[in-house]
Amino acid sequence: MASVSAVKDWIKPDETAKEMLTRLFTERPFLPLPPPLHKLPLRAGNVVEIVGPPSSAKTHILMQAAISCILPKEWKGIQFGGMDRLAVFVDLDCRFDVLRLSQLLKHKLIQASNKKSQTEYDEELFAACMRRFLYIRCYDSSEFLATLKTMNYQLQKKKEIQGVGVHLLMLDSIGAFYWMDRSLPSLLVGGDRKSLSLQSVTENVVQDIQKLLLVHPMLVLASKTTNSGDKYSADEVRRNIGSGPRPKHREYMPSVWQSFVTHRIHVAASDENSDHQRQLIYLTEWVSPSINSSDKFIVNDDGVFLIS
Amino acid sequence: MQERQNTEEKESLMAPLKTLEADYPIFDSNFQQFCASHGIFSVEDFLVRDIYMLVALAEEHDNSDRLKQAITEILSIMDSQHQSWLNGFELLEDSQKSKNILPTGCERIDAFLQGGLREGFLTELVGPSSSGKTQVCLLAASNVAKRRLGKVMFLDTGNSFSPKRIAYFISNTPEHADNEANRSLPHILDNILCHSVFDIFTLLDVLQQLLNNLTYQIGQRLRMLIVDSISSLITPVLGGAGTHGHALMAFAGVLLKKLAHEYNLSVLITNHMVAGEGGVTKPALGESWKSIPHIRLLLSRDCISNISGMSILRHPCMAIGERVDFTIL
Repeated sequence: MASVSAVKDWIKPDETAKEMLTRLFTERPFLPLPPPLHKLPLRAGNVVEIVGPPSSAKTHILMQAAISCILPKEWKGIQFGGMDRLAVFVDLDCRFDVLRLSQLLKHKLIQASNKKSQTEYDEELFAACMRRFLYIRCYDSSEFLATLKTMNYQLQKKKEIQGVGVHLLMLDSIGAFYWMDRSLPSLLVGGDRKSLSLQSVTENVVQDIQKLLLVHPMLVLASKTTNSGDKYSADEVRRNIGSGPRPKHREYMPSVWQSFVTHRIHVAASDENSDHQRQLIYLTEWVSPSINSSDKFIVNDDGVFLIS
Repeated sequence: MQERQNTEEKESLMAPLKTLEADYPIFDSNFQQFCASHGIFSVEDFLVRDIYMLVALAEEHDNSDRLKQAITEILSIMDSQHQSWLNGFELLEDSQKSKNILPTGCERIDAFLQGGLREGFLTELVGPSSSGKTQVCLLAASNVAKRRLGKVMFLDTGNSFSPKRIAYFISNTPEHADNEANRSLPHILDNILCHSVFDIFTLLDVLQQLLNNLTYQIGQRLRMLIVDSISSLITPVLGGAGTHGHALMAFAGVLLKKLAHEYNLSVLITNHMVAGEGGVTKPALGESWKSIPHIRLLLSRDCISNISGMSILRHPCMAIGERVDFTIL
């Protein structure tokens, strides 16, 4: 009987667990990210939220991640340890400084090539890396949604030109349009007409990114500025990090975004200064999944560095 | 030119699909009916819809091909609604070519800030009264005008603009012989446009107007925009339970950054300080404003020695806390 064989076909395993794992690891590999994102294995499909008060080096962390994405694995016999892929940076804060990115990238190139000269770097490689960094700026939520809804097509195009896919989607920062969206006039129209509102915008942002991830497996890194001004002062957030109870900053993004996030790391500047210089020390703490250890890092001209 | 197209396209975003039929014949009555049955009347309505689902719904109709073609057309309209995609290399080229650094005219500040105030950036001066915020603004304005770099727009919220002080800054420089400076003074002053702005709504109007005007800019171009002080416009609308004030603040921030980036202006704003908890002074625009400017500089002045200090509160590449002393005579 035909139906029996159909059922048999259907229950027959498609692949062994080992095959599945191999497939998964090639399609959605673990992405080696620089500190302070190095503690957890992160892979395409994950959504990481980097949470912290203003000026807590969130954008710097994103830039460092972008650099390790656009750097080649190896080039002219020199190991760079990068992913050799495209990185997409969606600038919602409209505050991105490309000069800083190029400074950090140059430093990486000089450091890896280990040449005698401290300022020499391969300009061809520099340009190739910079071309793998894709940037777009949005001035409001409707631009953001228009960007996301057409991103599949844009990324397909870029992928063809560059010959490599995207591994990293960065949003800096989610919640940038929170106040503007909250005050959008909520049209009380009948029927099933939806108007732009904080809720509908967030739902669509999540939905559009989910759709995008099916076609372009990427790791999503989103920074979020804590809105601590209302009830809790920045100092309170700061004091709470690292020791004692979890930081009690007020969650302001709608729950549809919160449940979309798979990993969450808190970052804040600490009050202590490093011994040798007047440099600020930043503290990080993974809160989801919770890891019982905190990292300290500093930011200097050359980038983000862990300190013990 | 580009901006005018943008505004036109923004209109097409909100316009009923019916009115777009003239330009896009594919949006015929059949498509309009299909959209209306799903509660969609404008391109904007598509932004909060699942496009994939709409395509699936269109499949069920007899003339699904034409409906899907129309949806593709909607997507291409959307694709013109966002800013353009750039790669890091193009971005860097734009920065190196069209974002210059405007010296303030105070040597120590310029050396400290790696040349001065950067075009494309929103720089904030925060400090208590008489810490020199307005002085730095006036000096920077006079210096741009004096060096004939272009025009400066000064939005004055509290009658702090002083033409006398500007004239003093312009003539009081070694490279200008007194006579020559006095002769060219009216000419130089012509390049500083001062507007009084007393509330946030007027500010938003002026900025919006400026965005429109800059598209058609002829002659010498605008290089610097100063708002002294932005906090006195925003603090009155903050507070209370409503969200409206915060929305206005965020919107002003977006407009200023848009002007700075798209038209290569150096935007300089000031934020005064008020007494906070326990008598400690704090910036009038606090936590939720902090994440808006590119650069935040704290000014202070020792009233005995008359020496002012500037330190970094936020900077894309300088360390927080770095500091310089200066005097403006």
